[in-house]
Amino acid sequence: MSLLRPANLRSRLTLWYVAVLAVLLLVYAALVFTFQYGVLTRQLAHDEVQDIVTVEGLLYFDTSGSLQLHQDYFSRPQSHVLVDRLMEVRDLDGNILYRSATLHDMPLGGPNRKAEGDTGFDERVVRLQDGTHVFLVSHIHVLQGHVLLIRLGYSLKPLRIRMMQFLLLLLVAIPLALVLAGAAGQMIARKALRPLDRMAIRAGSMTANNLSDRLEVPNPNDELGQMAKVFNHLLDRLEQAFSQLQRFTADAAHELRTPLAALRTVGEVALEREHDEEAYRDALGNILEETQRLSQTIDSLLLLARAETTQPGEQQTIFAVSELTQEILELLSIVIEEKRVTVIEENDRPGRAMVKADRSLLRVAILNVLHNALKFSPPASVLRITYTYDEAQPETMRIAFQDAGPGIAAGDTERVFERFFTSASPHTATQSGTGLGLSITRLIVNRSGGEIYFDPQMDAGARCVIVLPTVIGA
Amino acid sequence: MAVRPKILVIEDDRKMSAALVAGLEAAGYDVVAANSAEEGFFLVHRMHPDLLLLDLTLPQRNGLDILKQIREEGIDVRVLILTSHNTVEDRVAGLTTGADDYMGKPFSFPELMARIDALLRRFLPSAPVRAIQIGDLDIDTRTRVATRHGEKLDLTQREFDLLLYLAENNGRTVSREMLARDVWRETSRYTPIDNVIDVQVARLRRKMDDPFTVKLLQTVRGLGFSLREPQP
Repeated sequence: MSLLRPANLRSRLTLWYVAVLAVLLLVYAALVFTFQYGVLTRQLAHDEVQDIVTVEGLLYFDTSGSLQLHQDYFSRPQSHVLVDRLMEVRDLDGNILYRSATLHDMPLGGPNRKAEGDTGFDERVVRLQDGTHVFLVSHIHVLQGHVLLIRLGYSLKPLRIRMMQFLLLLLVAIPLALVLAGAAGQMIARKALRPLDRMAIRAGSMTANNLSDRLEVPNPNDELGQMAKVFNHLLDRLEQAFSQLQRFTADAAHELRTPLAALRTVGEVALEREHDEEAYRDALGNILEETQRLSQTIDSLLLLARAETTQPGEQQTIFAVSELTQEILELLSIVIEEKRVTVIEENDRPGRAMVKADRSLLRVAILNVLHNALKFSPPASVLRITYTYDEAQPETMRIAFQDAGPGIAAGDTERVFERFFTSASPHTATQSGTGLGLSITRLIVNRSGGEIYFDPQMDAGARCVIVLPTVIGA
Repeated sequence: MAVRPKILVIEDDRKMSAALVAGLEAAGYDVVAANSAEEGFFLVHRMHPDLLLLDLTLPQRNGLDILKQIREEGIDVRVLILTSHNTVEDRVAGLTTGADDYMGKPFSFPELMARIDALLRRFLPSAPVRAIQIGDLDIDTRTRVATRHGEKLDLTQREFDLLLYLAENNGRTVSREMLARDVWRETSRYTPIDNVIDVQVARLRRKMDDPFTVKLLQTVRGLGFSLREPQP
């Protein structure tokens, strides 16, 4: 961890905050400084112009012809030493006609420039022989027929000293402000992030045994509160999945125990006393049938596990559902014939309904649904398969399988999808399978991005609807 | 059969092992069982079996390990893996290590018999059978015509396939799983087509057995079906 890349978020935030503030303050100081310097320089120029105008009224040629300045407006004789005005008057040939005592015989600004002061008041900065910088204003003035070039200036030294002091003040004040801001920032960040520490401690202590624990939500509207809420929702789902898994394990154990019990009883009864060969044969056959049921239950559990871990996108191909259904009907045709069931297919837009899914899994799903529908269809009844396309939702299609069987009790249309659900209805009691078929079907359809449900409004027969996302134009 | 083929069973579950030995001996094979990998490996060298039935989960040493060593040593033996590890990856691992076939537990014994026969036959391929005769049933595999007592049976495509498959298994019992895979070509174990098979078998029986006094197509409860002349 280097000083510039501290590990904790708090210090990083503070560092960034201080850095940005420093840049802002420096820019601000530079602007203020420049502006102030400009204003003061303008003020100086303005004063000098006023001064020139005043001086012009005070200049005169004495009797000997040399240029003089009236000093008698000073109320007191020593007052003139207070005047720090630097002045030089020249004629157009560059001869010095007057030089103020404050210049100590140093020239002010060198030889005449071309058209200096001709059109008004020219401003420039010059350097005296002793190194002083002077802000100078030149002006042409006509006095008693003589054309005079008046140069008047003030030393820039006092201005620069003042500006230096201002700069010094800024240089002291800015770091001080930054230090204060940094400390405050660190404190605020620590306070703002404190709930995060508490959440981390709480989350760290959570295990499968206390999944019902939740993070406290300090303020549901701020970011941390949002995060805590999202995390709590995650925990909700996890807890739900976990309890589902626990229930499933218990159910699975129960489901496996039932055929095991049958196996045991049949075996024990067969061995208890002597039987004829036919009875032994019967018992063994019975036992083998039960083992097949066990085997199927285990295969179904494995298929559930496989469907659950399948990521959408793996092994997906694009195909027409109606073709898949045809293929399955072909497979089941012998059963359909035997039961004298009439299958009616209604598809107003054949060929358009392509879906993208794992074909072998979806085949299991549709086979399960059709198999169920046939199983519960009475002899010589009608099984209706309808494909519908909703104009409002062109990206989905619906396949409905409607049989003329005993139907599903009103309260059971959702529960039939539960694992190991077996109906209490006397119609279906003799036809139970592993109790996993519809759970597998729903899982597969959901994994393919679709939905499956039994129409709860049916009063005759059952109507199973599969909604699938379609691939248009593929 | 002049020499009985020798089969070595390497399986640590004693019940399973005993059942396999009994079943295979009854089918006319010369069978020896080993309960551990080391013993099995020793027996491979001693008895030179024609076929090895290999369980993968053995104590101390993995079955795949033995298989690898057998293949490295270049021992000529057919290997059939029997295991409860039954994912596609397991199968691939087994077959690439040098197994000739792979069966997931639980398997049906008739199917095991069929696979063993197929493996032992593999090196002496018999000419494709043209005609099969069982009792008064004659099947011509080329013209795809089956007759009983000289009377032509009116069979659908699938019914003929089913009959032929049963006939080719030469009186052995055929399980529903075998039919689903070999006649219906269903690759998924999860596809519930048992009732399709039952209905199809019932139809076939109606056509080929019902009109005749001698019934050839037998249902073996809990096992499957077989096509053979009834024992007197």
